[in-house]
Amino acid sequence: MAARWGMVVDLDRCTGCEACVTACHAENNIPTVGALEASRGRAMHWLRVERYWEGDYPDVRVKFRPVLCQQCDNAPCEAVCPTYASHQNEEGLNAQVYNRCIGTRYCANACMYNVRFFNFFNPQWEKPLNLQLNPDVSVRSVGVMEKCTFCVQRIKAAKTAARAEDRELKDGEFQPACAQACPAGAMIFGDLNDHESRVARLSHSPRATKLLEDLGAEPKVTYLPRQPWHEPDTQ
Amino acid sequence: MSRTRNNPMADDLVRPLFNTSVWFYGAALLLATIVGCGAAAWAYQLWFGIGVAGINWPVFWGFFLTNFVFWIGISHAGTLISAILRLVNARWRRPVTRCAEVITVFALMIGAMFPIIHLGRPWLFFWLAPYPSAREIWPNFRSPLVWDFFAINTYLTGSVLFLLLPMIPDFALVRDRSTGWRKRVYGMLALGWQGTTKQWHRLESGMQIMAIAIIPVAVSVHTIVSFDFSMATVPMWHSTIFGPYFVAGAIFSGIAALIIAMAVLRRALHLEAYLHPVHFENLGKLLLLMSLLWSYFVFAERITVWYGNEPSEMAVFWATQRGRYAPLYWTMVVCNFAIPFVILSLKQLRTIPGTVVASLAVVVGMWLERFLIIIPSLAHKQLPYSWGSYSPRPTEIIIMIATFAAMALFYMLFSKFVPIISIWEMKVGNQPHPAHLVETEDEGEAAGLWRARP
Amino acid sequence: MKALYALYTDPDAVQRAVDGLRSAGVAEREIVVMSSEPFEEYEFSHRDSATWLHWIAGLGGVLGLTAGYWLTRTTQMLWPLKTSGMPIVSPWPNLIVIFEMTMLGAILATVVTLLITAKLPSRLPHLYDPEVTNGYILVGVQQPSADLAPRMMAALESAGQGRVKSVE
Repeated sequence: MAARWGMVVDLDRCTGCEACVTACHAENNIPTVGALEASRGRAMHWLRVERYWEGDYPDVRVKFRPVLCQQCDNAPCEAVCPTYASHQNEEGLNAQVYNRCIGTRYCANACMYNVRFFNFFNPQWEKPLNLQLNPDVSVRSVGVMEKCTFCVQRIKAAKTAARAEDRELKDGEFQPACAQACPAGAMIFGDLNDHESRVARLSHSPRATKLLEDLGAEPKVTYLPRQPWHEPDTQ
Repeated sequence: MSRTRNNPMADDLVRPLFNTSVWFYGAALLLATIVGCGAAAWAYQLWFGIGVAGINWPVFWGFFLTNFVFWIGISHAGTLISAILRLVNARWRRPVTRCAEVITVFALMIGAMFPIIHLGRPWLFFWLAPYPSAREIWPNFRSPLVWDFFAINTYLTGSVLFLLLPMIPDFALVRDRSTGWRKRVYGMLALGWQGTTKQWHRLESGMQIMAIAIIPVAVSVHTIVSFDFSMATVPMWHSTIFGPYFVAGAIFSGIAALIIAMAVLRRALHLEAYLHPVHFENLGKLLLLMSLLWSYFVFAERITVWYGNEPSEMAVFWATQRGRYAPLYWTMVVCNFAIPFVILSLKQLRTIPGTVVASLAVVVGMWLERFLIIIPSLAHKQLPYSWGSYSPRPTEIIIMIATFAAMALFYMLFSKFVPIISIWEMKVGNQPHPAHLVETEDEGEAAGLWRARP
Repeated sequence: MKALYALYTDPDAVQRAVDGLRSAGVAEREIVVMSSEPFEEYEFSHRDSATWLHWIAGLGGVLGLTAGYWLTRTTQMLWPLKTSGMPIVSPWPNLIVIFEMTMLGAILATVVTLLITAKLPSRLPHLYDPEVTNGYILVGVQQPSADLAPRMMAALESAGQGRVKSVE
């Protein structure tokens, strides 16, 4: 059976350290737009950690939620693209074909999670940062949309290696950069069609929930919300 | 060239083609300069990237889309006046039809530029066209943007033909009155028109069919433009009211643009004898009707949202009603409802200056309406962490001003080369009835009886 | 002579001239009436055969509909890409494109047929007078036969106040 890639994000483990964000930037050649452009709202974080503050000082609580492309089964971003730059591939990934994108930005508007990002200018990397670019990932030009791909380059590399060795892929054999970098192990990636995989089992956890589930996009990222904090009994 | 005994009307309406004042050259130069600035701004954007505009994450559509919807909306003037009034044989439409059809054609051309201007990679805009390419891929017909491509092209083709066909007899008239290069050019444009009864029949049958065909196309065009928004699950976009709401708004802004254009033409080309206060009064009544219809749609939409109290929709609702966009929102309500309602309900105020003031308010108000549909919703989608805002930057503002100048320039040039009032249709309006149909005792009275016909 | 015609200002005179030419023995097809505006209430305007334009417009619409259906369905099946969980051949969106192409077909068929049946573009024939666009109505015959010419001239002159001219 073809794979169906999915992810589980355990919010109980997430500390909001944003190592995943940094790893994603490094792995996927995401441009650093600079302070001025960031102040104009052009920062590109394929994976972002949303922070929500509750309460007033001193009883402030913070909730962290890493938000990335949910790789929806009924992705609203796909039908609206006039050039088929956004479509679903055979393994359930929402593929973004950079060469077909003419930059209408309708997909970004249609995405309710706001996980699509646009190259407003041609990206620049000052020397020697250009030496740090990942050769497995293309660099996008001005006018092209981009978003999280579940590190499709790593998926392809793992599949190629497995085929060369004439074997199936094992669960946990490879991970996207964010899951790899997370020190708390909050991000779990794998094949949802493999019922033995961690991600398939955790996505059926009684805690499992999906973001904006009622909008019907059928995302493949499952969130495990935090357990409520209990003061330990002192008696 | 001066055989004027029989045709003072033709003389008046053809005079702008032969006489040009210095004001014309001055105005044309000024407008062309502004259009040039717009072209320069676009060139700047093409060179440096779409990032010179003010759009950002998450407000990915801004001024360019606002102007796109605005101009396509303005283009609905011609269809209403020409087609619908032709079909119901409204007598007062005759001097007005070509003015309106010209607005349609140029507004469509200008509006159709914006989907190209706003692209990230505009040099690839032709990928929306269905043609067999080496990439072996066709456009995605599920995308509302591809529907836009088909709808706007169909409407533009239909409107251009609807404008050009009744121009043929007038081209023949200009051909017969001119010499030299004018005679050659207008002769070609007239296609050898003679005015035989058979040609008139074919032309009128063709116009009838075009009038019937163009109305559903016009309704579909702005409905499809509204689908650019309503097909997405963005709060306060995903509403079934958008189709009729946009069409009503388009006709509303189109009539306002028409009134302004007619008032300017009346003054600039001395057409006081042909564009009477009654024309403005009738269009003013239509404008009032559309204002009430627009207000009804806005009320129906907003009370549904408010009553439903759905959190993501209410965020947008309050942002427009009380929040950051409130000044623009209430200006829009005053411009689109309060001012037209007061001016156009009172007969004493439904004069030419009165209707022009109301129309200017409506044009401003309808532009604001497009802005307020697009930006507040994109700035407040479902996840509050990703809320944002938008301010236009100089490139967008300059291009917008240039499109208004381009509209004025195209209109001016058109009225310089083509009679802006359809001469043969005016003549039909003044035709006498056949002698055997006129019931009167006095032969002399019958001969002098010129009853206007529809 | 190449043409014989008269120019009138009064459409009732034109009607009398046409009737006079008929009784002078001129065939219906050879009588030409030209004007700068259509005169729908007069009989002389209704001597032509009925137009098939409506049917042709409908046919154009059907052709457009077929083209739209074929274009959307075929191209969607050529590259069966899944988008938003919609079917590969999506009927609802395709309907919109099919509608637009239907209307375009009807419009283009109307205009092309109109131009062809009105014989546009064409060169101006010998039987034409620029006075037509000045408000006069022309009634005449092209290549009149020599024996009928005097009776035709008499009919045109007696119809009313008009100028009779001939083109040699």
